[in-house]
Amino acid sequence: MSSHRLFRFPKPAWLNSANTRTAGVYTAGALFAIGFYMLIDISVWSKSAMNPSDPPVHITFVDWIPGICSALGMLVINSIDKSRLSADSFSYSGNGVAWKARLVLFLGFALLAGGLAGSVTVLVLKYVVREYAWPTIWLGIGNVVGNALVMLSSAVLWVAQNMEDEYTYNLAL
Amino acid sequence: MAGIKTIIGLSFVLAIGFLLVILSSALFKNYLTLLVVATYVVAPLPNWICGRAANPDDFMESSGSGVIDFGRFLTGFFVVMGVALPTLLYHSAQIAGGAAVMSIVGGLLIYGTIISFTLFFQEEQEF
Repeated sequence: MSSHRLFRFPKPAWLNSANTRTAGVYTAGALFAIGFYMLIDISVWSKSAMNPSDPPVHITFVDWIPGICSALGMLVINSIDKSRLSADSFSYSGNGVAWKARLVLFLGFALLAGGLAGSVTVLVLKYVVREYAWPTIWLGIGNVVGNALVMLSSAVLWVAQNMEDEYTYNLAL
Repeated sequence: MAGIKTIIGLSFVLAIGFLLVILSSALFKNYLTLLVVATYVVAPLPNWICGRAANPDDFMESSGSGVIDFGRFLTGFFVVMGVALPTLLYHSAQIAGGAAVMSIVGGLLIYGTIISFTLFFQEEQEF
């Protein structure tokens, strides 16, 4: 096992424990909740009495598109069975499973990155270019932060699930 | 061991939590903060349901752990939702700041009670 290692420093042992994996999944859920409620917050705040903008600036459907893309991307990425990514090197799987898995995974990551990039686009085109001041520009900044948190949550969940595979593998040996 | 003192203490804490949440809504005549109680009552349910739906000891079948992970994900989501919801309502001037703080603290007390109750009395259910 150690002769196959690529890097000089070994992976710390706590990274492979089942507790770390559980904590990672909980953390992913927490991060997703913060991101999701950041998105809800900007839409509620936009219609509330706290929004001082005059003429009124409100959330439209355009502001929701990045969030929808990010959530879809997260769903796609985490529905894939990770062990199918290297399935072609084993003979038990059918033809081209890994190829399909990589394609779907690529679509998921593209959706996720597109969501983040789209939120930055909305921030720049809708709020920065028109030179809105602080309380109004929160509508754009909150969107970016929310999408970034959804992306971070997806990354944490991905790492946690990969951890589980190696843990199971070590246990099986 | 977990005895009668633990039960009394936990019910005391639970009562304080409910008191805080109900005060936070009744004092300000605004009953939106009661949503926090619903959130924290729902929070342990996904773990429970998904734990029953999958067998964690089955290493041959890898599909079971996905369900468990989904339950944990939902639990983490609900726990943070209990803090995020009052903050959101306060930020949008739907509830007052005092109501937000009281409902967050009360909700955390309620959830802590539920969690420690299951922790203390878990051994008796195992066989």
